[in-house]
Amino acid sequence: MRLVGANVPRVEDRRILTGRGHYVDDIQLPHMLHATFLRSPLAHARITGLDATGARQAPGVIAVYTGADMKEISKPIRPVIEMGLTPEYYALVTDKVFFVGDLVAMVVAESRQQAEDACELIEVDYDPLPPVLTYETALDPAVAPLFGDLDSNILATSHTEGGDVEAVFAEADRVIEVELSQHRIANVPMETRGLVADYDDGSGQLTVHAATQSPQGLRIQLATTLEHPLDKVLVLTQDVGGAFGLKGNIFREDFCACIATKQIGRPVKWIEDRNEHLLASGHAREEKISAQVAVTDAGDILGIKAELTMDQGAYPGLPFGASVFPAFITLLLPGPYKVKGYSCDAKVVTTNKCTYVAYRGPWAMETWTRERLIDIVAHELGLDPAEVRRRNFQEGAEDDRLITGLSLWGITSRYTLDRALELIDYAQVRKDQQVARDAGRCVGVGFATFIEAAPGPPEMRIGGGMFGGEQAKVRLEADGQVTVITAQSPHGQGHETTLAQVVADEMGVAMDQVRVVHGDTRLTPFSVVGTGGSRAATWASGAALMNARKVKEKVLAIAAAQLEVADEDLEILDGMITPRGVPSKAVPLAQIALQATLSPTSLPPGTDPNLEANERFLGEGITGSGWSGGTHACVVEVDLGTGAVKIVRYVVVEDCGRVINPAIVEGQIRGGVAQGIGQVLYERAAYDDEGNFLAGTFMDYLLPTATEIPTIEIEHVESDPDGEIGFRGVGEGGMIVAPAALTNAVEDALLPFGAKVTEQYLPPAKVLKLAGVI
Amino acid sequence: MQVELIVNGSNYKAPVEPQRTLADFLRDDLRLTGTHLGCEHGVCGACTVIVDGQAVRSCLMFAVQADGSEVMTIEGLEKDGRLHPLQEAFRDCHSFQCGFCTPGFVMTALALIEEGTAPASEEELREELSGNLCRCTGYQSIVEGVAEAIRRTTETGAIGAVESGAS
Repeated sequence: MRLVGANVPRVEDRRILTGRGHYVDDIQLPHMLHATFLRSPLAHARITGLDATGARQAPGVIAVYTGADMKEISKPIRPVIEMGLTPEYYALVTDKVFFVGDLVAMVVAESRQQAEDACELIEVDYDPLPPVLTYETALDPAVAPLFGDLDSNILATSHTEGGDVEAVFAEADRVIEVELSQHRIANVPMETRGLVADYDDGSGQLTVHAATQSPQGLRIQLATTLEHPLDKVLVLTQDVGGAFGLKGNIFREDFCACIATKQIGRPVKWIEDRNEHLLASGHAREEKISAQVAVTDAGDILGIKAELTMDQGAYPGLPFGASVFPAFITLLLPGPYKVKGYSCDAKVVTTNKCTYVAYRGPWAMETWTRERLIDIVAHELGLDPAEVRRRNFQEGAEDDRLITGLSLWGITSRYTLDRALELIDYAQVRKDQQVARDAGRCVGVGFATFIEAAPGPPEMRIGGGMFGGEQAKVRLEADGQVTVITAQSPHGQGHETTLAQVVADEMGVAMDQVRVVHGDTRLTPFSVVGTGGSRAATWASGAALMNARKVKEKVLAIAAAQLEVADEDLEILDGMITPRGVPSKAVPLAQIALQATLSPTSLPPGTDPNLEANERFLGEGITGSGWSGGTHACVVEVDLGTGAVKIVRYVVVEDCGRVINPAIVEGQIRGGVAQGIGQVLYERAAYDDEGNFLAGTFMDYLLPTATEIPTIEIEHVESDPDGEIGFRGVGEGGMIVAPAALTNAVEDALLPFGAKVTEQYLPPAKVLKLAGVI
Repeated sequence: MQVELIVNGSNYKAPVEPQRTLADFLRDDLRLTGTHLGCEHGVCGACTVIVDGQAVRSCLMFAVQADGSEVMTIEGLEKDGRLHPLQEAFRDCHSFQCGFCTPGFVMTALALIEEGTAPASEEELREELSGNLCRCTGYQSIVEGVAEAIRRTTETGAIGAVESGAS
């Protein structure tokens, strides 16, 4: 049976279902200490006095660290990857606090409770400073830069263009202008951040048990910042309770715990509480785009001019800060449409808020903007939004290109829109909508289409693309088991299962003969991303498959010589190396493996006893367009009494190429849609006008529950179903496009009231305002 | 203070500080780390365990309050190497991804099934599960997993059988 394409039960499940997973907070080392942090209550202030005497004398306290201590014992944090401007900053603040939740001091004590109690004994005097909280203030040249070593609060600027934008604007029948803004939200995995740092003074090894998406990324940043030899930093990661981009970051708390264990010589554990998490772990998505769209009266979208502003918050995210992401947003904004002229200017500003972090499809502003603009254009011109999309879609022909240059060969945007509208029965929905409106009810239908470069078209994959492909190691063990060592660091994606499916098929062995190893930097290949960016399906699967093939070739060469047949006349069936058509002469794979291990000299001459391979996969053999994508369509009903939005139906037509495990793929899509729904209707990392954080508990930061998320119907489009490495990324797509489909539906419902949705956050009060009720 | 309680069928007698939560007692003192802490303010439900037949949030209960009680955690469901029908249904329906919230959902659902109050409609079931947060799945597969477990246990009467370890 071929395993790829089947709903193979997950390898991970048993340990999780029996309560025997290994999450970072489950680690308890002998003599382990606990760290907690004193955090800033103010958005922007100078520290004029800090007295930690009481804390240092409190029961159980081993050490208290302040910014002054950090400045003495560590160097400023610098990103290992170049990005926009970075201020000089340390693991703890040295003279000013820059957001509510900023790190003022660390207490290390025998118990967490003692550390927390001691934190309260630290006395800090603050001299408040005016906070920078809005784009306007950040961009105002009259406002002093927040960081003394930077010239302004603008950290990065860029300009992107394609075609002759001025010419197409001159041709337009009209130009529609709109400003669209996304609000600040947060990733909020159910497991908060945390680590256990354990320094061994004998060997000089710093071992870090971490809840991370990228053990190697964490390792290299720790080694660099702490000036600790790279070969003596070991990062270990087992189960991780969700991340969604957040835990791809290296945090200042990580440096603090590592510095403490090195100083004290005992293991130091830090587990964040939920309030700290909401306040200070990372926020995402605060972005706005001012756009002009040049159109013809018939609905041709000729050109787009856009200005993007992103709010990074106080400090750069590591290793990928906000400044990294405008490139993706501006590259993809025109999407699968025939835009002839395009320009986009981008700015990233720093403010007195929590640090920007990547969150599942961090460039999603491009999809929301574009798909919102198309509906706004349609409404302005009195056209059906579906027809405007159809009129402007590129077909995926050989010479179709995004206006920013990328090949769009093979995209299936038109098909996914047509199919989604068919599934939702668009014509009937429109009729039902009219009936509902006549009865005084408020029903809307919305849809949106996206493409995601996962892995992207061939020109994005030259030399393996921006990260140079991916490594994996495959080894045939002495007992015939196959070990796959991946650079991925899964945290819910089920790579122990999917990579085993791919390799088991390639090697011709059963699922339980393949073991996937991750999360141990002594073994795992380097990847600064780890698991992120919807990379695993293509890059990790490809790397595992190609190296499994190399191992298989070695084994077959040995068997062919022994059986006196040609290599190509052999196949491996259920762990038996079998001459085609002569099953009676089959030799167990395990037999060759054992022989190669125990008596390599007995192998036929010219064969290789090292039954392993770890070549870097640079993308050879990837088939299909390289574009994931699809269309989501939903029907909503708005309650004009309460402002509540009920999602009546939600349909996804998704093209992520060849599906490795449908249950896992559908789980990724549904999870992403749920986060997109939460983002639009419930979640907001809100600050007040003084920079106080207003969403510090789950009673304030509202995650959707089982009653808010509807059934999500999914249909797969497996374009290029027979391609060898035709698997494409699917982790982010659901969340990238869901906010666009949903906001389009809400606007559609409220059109009779002249509503225009320009702010993505649509809580009940906002919905009622849009409807003119309040 | 001293507490004496039964956890997953075993007797425990242990000294405990009055302010120690049941969750911390289970996780740190008994090393039953399958019970997870997601918010420590009683909203997310990840720490749900069964105390004397009731689903409770172990982050909101002190260990001393469980003195004399019978507690069941996620570690207590598997019997003789066989998964409980709920665990099997969760596996079969792909009801989780990262697994951090899973023990809480399983224990919440277990209480529903064992109380015999498992709802018949999907809408009611979603309502019953709405006290637990999951960030990975979008809930659909969890609802399906619990519904499937209800179906399997009702058809076979397996709940009682599992209690005696003979499902």
